[in-house]
Amino acid sequence: MQKKLLIVEDEKNLCLLYREELAKAGYKVTAVSDADTALEKIKKQTFDLIITDIRMPGKNGIELITQIMALRKDIPIIINTAYQSYKHDFMTWAADAYVVKSASLEELKAKIKELIG
Amino acid sequence: MEQRLIERYNLFLHEFSQETSKEMQLFSIIAQSFFQPFSLMDNLLVIMTALTAGPGLGFNRAMLFLTSGNRLKGEFWLGPASPAEAESIWRVLSTPGIGYAEIIEHNRSLLTSETDTLTRRAKKLSYALHREESLIPALTASARQMILVRDARNEPAVDKRFLEMIDTDEFLCLPLVSQKDVLGEFILDNSITKLPIGHRDIELASLCGLMASNYIYTAQLQKRIIEMRKVAAMGEMAMYVTHQLRNPLVTIGGFADQLLDPDTGERKKKRNVQIIRSEIRRLEKILLRLSQFLRIDVREKTSVDVQDMLNLVQESIRQRIAGRKISLDVEIEVGLRLILCDPTHVGEAIRNVLDNAVDAVHDEGHIYLRAYREGTEWAVVAVEDTGKGIPEAIQDKIFDSFVSTKERGMGLGLAYVKRVVDACGGRIEVKSAEGIGTTFKLYFQTEPREKGA
Repeated sequence: MQKKLLIVEDEKNLCLLYREELAKAGYKVTAVSDADTALEKIKKQTFDLIITDIRMPGKNGIELITQIMALRKDIPIIINTAYQSYKHDFMTWAADAYVVKSASLEELKAKIKELIG
Repeated sequence: MEQRLIERYNLFLHEFSQETSKEMQLFSIIAQSFFQPFSLMDNLLVIMTALTAGPGLGFNRAMLFLTSGNRLKGEFWLGPASPAEAESIWRVLSTPGIGYAEIIEHNRSLLTSETDTLTRRAKKLSYALHREESLIPALTASARQMILVRDARNEPAVDKRFLEMIDTDEFLCLPLVSQKDVLGEFILDNSITKLPIGHRDIELASLCGLMASNYIYTAQLQKRIIEMRKVAAMGEMAMYVTHQLRNPLVTIGGFADQLLDPDTGERKKKRNVQIIRSEIRRLEKILLRLSQFLRIDVREKTSVDVQDMLNLVQESIRQRIAGRKISLDVEIEVGLRLILCDPTHVGEAIRNVLDNAVDAVHDEGHIYLRAYREGTEWAVVAVEDTGKGIPEAIQDKIFDSFVSTKERGMGLGLAYVKRVVDACGGRIEVKSAEGIGTTFKLYFQTEPREKGA
C-alpha cells in the first residue's frame, strides 16, 4: 500500500517541489503550509510520516512536533530546514531525523526510506 | 541637632581636606582622569604631568615609550626645556584647585605648539625588544624591573645615542607591563633641579607606572573587544546570508533537476522555468535588501513635511491591514517638519516599525502612529501597538543585526531603522511589555517653529 506523507512547508514553490518529487518516489503526499493546518490534518487522518520545516509563520516546527507528540506518539517525524543550528536545540532530538535542505532531495528520500520503507 | 544616618559623597572628589597630601591629591586626579572621556594619550599625559609637576611628585622630565609590534618607540617627552620654562609651568600647575581638565588643556597646548622639541626628539628613538637586550633604556622593559641609573656617562650599558639626547647623569627607567606583555616605559629625570632621585621618588614613580600600565592594558582590551565584535558580526552576516539563500537555491536546484528529466512534459518545463525565474528574482531582492542595509547614504540633510511623509507610509500599511480587525490611528502635529538625512530611508524605516506593529498585533488590535514636538529641538515619531510585546530577555538586542523573534524574520528591520535614525542624528527608544504592547519612539531634529507661529 502507498505510504502517506504529510509535508509542512511554508514556501509555496518548495512545497510544490516536495509534493511532486515525493509522489514520483511513490508516496501519497499531503502538503500544508502551516502548523495549525497540519495539526487539523493529523487529527482527521493517519499518516505514516511527517516532514516539517522549522521556521514558519505562526507556530514553528518545534512547537508543532511537541503537539504532534501529544496527539500521536507513533508517527515518525523528519525535520527539514535551511538551518544547521537547530540540530543543537534539544527539542529537535524528538524528531527521528534532521535533514538540512539541499537542492538534491536524495538525502531526504533516503531518510524517508530508512524510516518507513 | 539631628544626626544623619547616612552621608553621601561624590565619588569624584574636587576638594580635599587640609591634611590630604599633595601626592594623594595628584593620585586622585590621575585616577579620576581615567573615568573622563579622554583618550589614552591624554590620560598618560596626566600621569606624566603629575610626575613632573614641579614639587609634586618630584621629577623634572618624563619620557614615554610605547610598545609597537616588537619595538619600543618614543612617543612623548614632557618637561621644561630650561629652568625658566620650568618655573612658568610649575606656577601653572601649583595653582590651587587645578584638575585634570586644566592639566590636559595645558598638555595639549604644549604638544601642539611648535616649540615642543622634546617630544620631537623622543619620537626618533626606537629599540628592539629582545629578551637579551642589554642596552638601557630598553633593558628595563625586557627585565620588567625599574632601573635607576646613577652615573649614565660612566655606565657602559647606557645607549650612547640615548645618553646624548637625555644629557643627564641620573635617570629612572620604569617599565610599563601587563601580566604577560611589555606595554612601554617611562624615563624620569631631574635635569633642571639636579636633585638626586630618592627612595620616595621611586615609590611614587612605581605607583604612577602601575596606573599607566592599567590604562594602556585597558585601552588595548577595549580595542580587542571592538575587533572581536566586528569579526563576530561578520560571522553572523555570513550565517545570515547562507540561510537566506538556501531556500531559493533548493527550489531552483530541485526544479532544474526536473527540467533535465526526460519524463517532464513541455507544460511542466515552462512552469519550472517560471518558478526558477521568480526564485532568482527573490535572490536578487535579498541581495538588494542586504546592500541597502549595508549602505545607508548620509546625503545632505533636508527639511521634510511629516504629514506628507507619513501619508505615504500609512497608505501601504492600510493596504496590509485591510480586512483585518486592526485599527490604525494617526495623529500628526500640524506643520511639523523634520530635518532628515534621507526622507526615503526614513519613510522606509518608519514603515518597518509599523510592519512590526502589524505583525505584533497579529489578528486583532490597535496601532497608533503619532508625530509631535518634544521640547524645542526634537520631534518624535511614535508607533504604539497593543500586540504581543517583546520578550524582556531580548529587548536590548532588538536593534542588533540578525536578531529576530519572527520565524521568517530577516533580523534586519530594526537594525536598519536604527542605522537610519542614527544617520539622521536622531535616536530611538523602545518600551515594551509582554502581552500588553510595544511603543517605539523615533527622535528626529525638528525645524524651529516659525516666529509668531
